[in-house]
Amino acid sequence: MVTKLDETELKRLESQVEHGGGGAWEYLCLVRKLKIRRSDKVLKHGLLILNDPKKRSSIGDEEWTLYEQVAIAAMDCNSLDTARDCINVLSKKFPESKRVGRLEAMLLEAKGCWEEAENAYSSLLEDNPLDQVVHKRKVAMAKAEGDLLKAIECLSKYLKVFMADNDAWRELAEIYVSLQMYKQAAFCYEELILAQPTVPVYHLAYADVLYTLGGLENIQTAKKYYAATIDFTGGKNTRALYGVCLCTAAIGQLAKGRNKDDKEGELHTLAAKVLEKDYKYRAPDKLPLLTSTLKTLKLSS
Amino acid sequence: MGLGLTVGLLGVLILSHAAYSTIQYRGLLKITEEEFSGPPINVVLELILGFLLCMYAGLTVPGNFHSIHPSSEENRIVSLPENLDFMIFNHRGRVALSDSDMKLKL
Repeated sequence: MVTKLDETELKRLESQVEHGGGGAWEYLCLVRKLKIRRSDKVLKHGLLILNDPKKRSSIGDEEWTLYEQVAIAAMDCNSLDTARDCINVLSKKFPESKRVGRLEAMLLEAKGCWEEAENAYSSLLEDNPLDQVVHKRKVAMAKAEGDLLKAIECLSKYLKVFMADNDAWRELAEIYVSLQMYKQAAFCYEELILAQPTVPVYHLAYADVLYTLGGLENIQTAKKYYAATIDFTGGKNTRALYGVCLCTAAIGQLAKGRNKDDKEGELHTLAAKVLEKDYKYRAPDKLPLLTSTLKTLKLSS
Repeated sequence: MGLGLTVGLLGVLILSHAAYSTIQYRGLLKITEEEFSGPPINVVLELILGFLLCMYAGLTVPGNFHSIHPSSEENRIVSLPENLDFMIFNHRGRVALSDSDMKLKL
């Protein structure tokens, strides 16, 4: 999970490293810890460290982790030669290693040799049928080939065994959303909320899915989940604030003619107020836009 | 740091003195063959003082407290990690980033 503190630290280190202020190794460590995809920067600064024998020896045994990190970043940036070189160094150091074997298969993937990569992964699975990463790579490969239904099938099979893998649930939810299968996506997000009830991003995503599904009941639930997101983020999540406003407008439209709930009258005005305050502080020139939007939603007081 | 540690040491000293006084008091009771009615007032005072000093040291020496509120700056989750286990390589970066001139020196 990337907290606000991590984010500011990452931004600080990134600008420091980009302007030649040093701290490249700390930056690479933070990127690895937070699992952030900054392949171009990892490739650039990682190679600078690896090409300098003095810097390389100063990080000690972590050198091999860095080789792996740079290899994956190089595949992501399509510098396949660099990836090849890194993997060669690693396989010289660790012959017969499964982890290096995985990298080899990933390189095949990056080259686009799907069948060979598939064979490589299958042989890795024969040695260790419970290798989670390889299972996930197979799903990713199906996704890369554009066969999302196969990816879903693989992922469901995987989740039957590894039910506690939150990342996989999230991936499945995202695939379902991209296929507009919102009911299934909602199920995945419910699973995620059950597993990690304090992560506001899951609440937000679930609320988005419910709002998209539509219908009075779903939108009422969505509003509750937007409210939970606001609760967990201290009202600093703009999307959740907008969500509450939109839900209220949608409920007002759907429940037209029926008796209105006076209890819910306060939440959206508060959300609108916070939005206005936030815009005044961070983007004053966009404020008229916000006020007119809120007015069309008939929310501004 | 130095202050907290000194205060803590002082607290421990006072507590040990209270223990020593208690042992002495028990010895005295045995000699005078009196019934135990309650601890002497100086031991109680020492215990309270020692406890307060130790508590002060325990709260200040180990460092600052972290926030437990989910909405505080250090706990507020702004984004999820990218799902790197499922990363795929055929994206637009393939075209945009391909001409990297850096190579690994072997």
